[in-house]
Amino acid sequence: MNEQEISAKIKELLCNNLGIDAEVLTDDIPLFSDGIGLDSIDSLEIIAGIDEEFGVSMTGVGKEPFYNVKSLTAYVAEHLQD
Amino acid sequence: MTTDKNRCVVTGLGLISSIGNNVDECWKNAVQGVSGIKETSAVDTENCYACLAAEVNDGTLDNVEGAEKMDRASKLCIKASGEAMKDAGLHDLGGSRKAAVIMGSCVGGVASAEHYYRNGKPASDINKIPISAIANQVAKTYNAGGVVTNIANACAAGTISIAYACDLIRSGKADVVIAGGADAFSSVPYAGFLSLHALDKNPCSPFNHCSGITLGEGSGAIIIESYEHAKKRNAEIYCEALGSGVSSDAFHITAPRPDGKGQMHAIRRAMENSGIAPSEVGYINAHGTGTAKNDKAEFLSLHTIFDGENDDLSVSSTKGMVGHCLGAAGAVEAVFSIKALTEGVIPPTVGYSDEDMPRLNERAGRIDFCPNSAKKKELTNVMSNSFAFGGNNASIIFSKSKGNVELPCERERIFVTGIGIVSPIGNGVDNYTKKTKLRQTLESVSAESTVCREDYDACGLKMAFYRKLDKFSQLQAVSGMSALIDAELSVTDDNAADISIAVGTSDGPISTICNYQEDLIAKGNAAGSAFKFPNTVYNAAGGYLSICSGIQGYNVTLTNGTQSGLASIAYAVNIIRSGQEKAVLATGTDENSATVTELYNKLGCLTDGESDGFRLSDGSTAIVLESESSVNKRGAKPYAEVLGCGMACKPVDFGELTGSDEGLDEAVSLALEDSGLDIDSIDGVVGFADGLNEVDIIESNSLNRIFGSRLGAVPIFNIHPVTGEGRAATAALSAAHASLVLSGKLGESVMSENLGEVGVSKLEKLLVLSSGAGGSYTAVIISK
Repeated sequence: MNEQEISAKIKELLCNNLGIDAEVLTDDIPLFSDGIGLDSIDSLEIIAGIDEEFGVSMTGVGKEPFYNVKSLTAYVAEHLQD
Repeated sequence: MTTDKNRCVVTGLGLISSIGNNVDECWKNAVQGVSGIKETSAVDTENCYACLAAEVNDGTLDNVEGAEKMDRASKLCIKASGEAMKDAGLHDLGGSRKAAVIMGSCVGGVASAEHYYRNGKPASDINKIPISAIANQVAKTYNAGGVVTNIANACAAGTISIAYACDLIRSGKADVVIAGGADAFSSVPYAGFLSLHALDKNPCSPFNHCSGITLGEGSGAIIIESYEHAKKRNAEIYCEALGSGVSSDAFHITAPRPDGKGQMHAIRRAMENSGIAPSEVGYINAHGTGTAKNDKAEFLSLHTIFDGENDDLSVSSTKGMVGHCLGAAGAVEAVFSIKALTEGVIPPTVGYSDEDMPRLNERAGRIDFCPNSAKKKELTNVMSNSFAFGGNNASIIFSKSKGNVELPCERERIFVTGIGIVSPIGNGVDNYTKKTKLRQTLESVSAESTVCREDYDACGLKMAFYRKLDKFSQLQAVSGMSALIDAELSVTDDNAADISIAVGTSDGPISTICNYQEDLIAKGNAAGSAFKFPNTVYNAAGGYLSICSGIQGYNVTLTNGTQSGLASIAYAVNIIRSGQEKAVLATGTDENSATVTELYNKLGCLTDGESDGFRLSDGSTAIVLESESSVNKRGAKPYAEVLGCGMACKPVDFGELTGSDEGLDEAVSLALEDSGLDIDSIDGVVGFADGLNEVDIIESNSLNRIFGSRLGAVPIFNIHPVTGEGRAATAALSAAHASLVLSGKLGESVMSENLGEVGVSKLEKLLVLSSGAGGSYTAVIISK
């Protein structure tokens, strides 16, 4: 799976599971900003979704990979190859 | 000192929990610090990190009369209510219009939803699912004929139920009430709290390790009477139920405000409404769930209010023994609080090791958290606190003294100053007015309302907020915000605590609940969604509305069938008249979806276009009700005035109406009495006939009896042909419709069902009616 495919799947997951409008969700927009407004409950949902979709565990991972779609994609891409 | 007229007394107690099947067993074990927390066998725990629960062990629950038609929550509730009745020396409430049942619940019959989906969707499960069933089934068992409803404010529901029971008594609408709460342990709350990582893998440890909750189950019931009623029958009195305080955080759907502001607001209100000072509180049964966020905020609230004011305060959380019983928690803990008061013994907070004590001493300061051992203490006033999902806070005080409960001397007039509408024929008052004039009847047998980006933009709601809402909450957020805008009522720091929310709903977020349950069956309890779980709770919609509007006053979600949309108006009237708030957003909200349509279809309620049945729809109607002083102060322009309300029940099996006619007659008679009117002053009726014969016959028979020979000349209005049966949404919309008719907004003449066009100038006072499955009715009189 290349990064583009991973990114598309992550966006789909965020839109379907967290009610985010697709047109707002760019690769760079900060997820925990006022615009998207994710909070701690949403991060649990992201962790569960990424585990289910990619088999990548993000439990206990720091804040940085959750910054935006780009950083999530990079984290998944790196750990998928493990 | 509280006058005899305002005195509410407790005369009976009932309890069932993991540490006993009656009050004596539970109390004996609580005092000894016995915990009922064990590994659960009731739900699947595969791959789950926490497997504990505090479950009831009672093999006799199925002996309850009519048990085959009840969820476990109702059976628990009837068991506790029966004990309380017996304890009070009562066995039948005689169908009295002043005998009420108010029951709290968080998840109601969700275990029956699991049974439904696991067993080929039998129709016999469907009427066991809604919270509405619980109070109805208690009312039928003990023959209550007055206000019958359920409070669905999650973990604060039990406490708010008792608070409402006292308010009903003080307003003269009840003289004896079975009040309390019930919840049964089931997979939706288990998997939901698991998904939030809010369950402790060890037994919960409130005010100590604070690493999560352990779910419990059970029911608490108390008999509350007016002093006069208790005295007349020489009842033995446990104590007084004094004042209460209910507030909303307007902060977060699951987490409490870290600054404790909402909690402190409720606690302070309870003391003010009781006429007692912080120094006079001897014991507090704390919410004390054992989550880090709750316990931290609660430590802060208690220290802020009591430090320096009270050097002899004892606090304990009994959840370490009985778990968190959700909607039953406030009721279970009220019983423990009353026992502590009357026995002079405080049950302990369990779970401390020697190593834990230095940390407790540091956090506790001068407050005694009664670690591990019960404490003897002479008590005069005790407080029970409950804080819930949705940011709902409730506090109530029980006492050996009469306290100083005061009500306003004069009854304030109450006006409709704003209306918000979300309906299948479109959203907003102007749109409704236009469509109603066209009188287009609903074609579809199942219709849905929609809210879109434009609606959110018009209400000033951002995507970061509304993305979290399920459909039920979306409908409520848009109608509520629209009503505030229509009323030109701005919520500010100065008035936020003077405005409240009363949500009425028949079925709550039933699609979200059912879909969540189906997901758990498909994927296992370890795979519950943390995002969706908060929306499975009935009061999520009221919680979100407080967050987006900033409203911090009273917040209640009540549920008892379709009529909940009118009962919310009656509740609001009570809150304003008792001087607790200046304005209330009273709403009716229900959702439709493929899931909801399936459920009603299986119950045989829906028409195919020709057959007996209704056209199912949904929506949300919000009405701003405001005290005359508030209207005058801000120069608001009212649509109409609410003169009075009546609520009554002639209990029949939940899901039925046949045989409950007298309930409607009583509700009308009580509304007339409350308004100081006779039937001859009523100029028209907004009815609830929806096409289901069982419903329509009750209305026409009752109107015949009520109006007699005059009925032929009384116009009957009905919005169901236009909007369908949107349950609570339609009930509240009927009241909004009456207000719009009387204000002239719908034109100089309006279409009635029986007399064609009727001139609005001839209409002064309209009677609005609604019914609820199980035989409950609400009547509201609205005037020009």
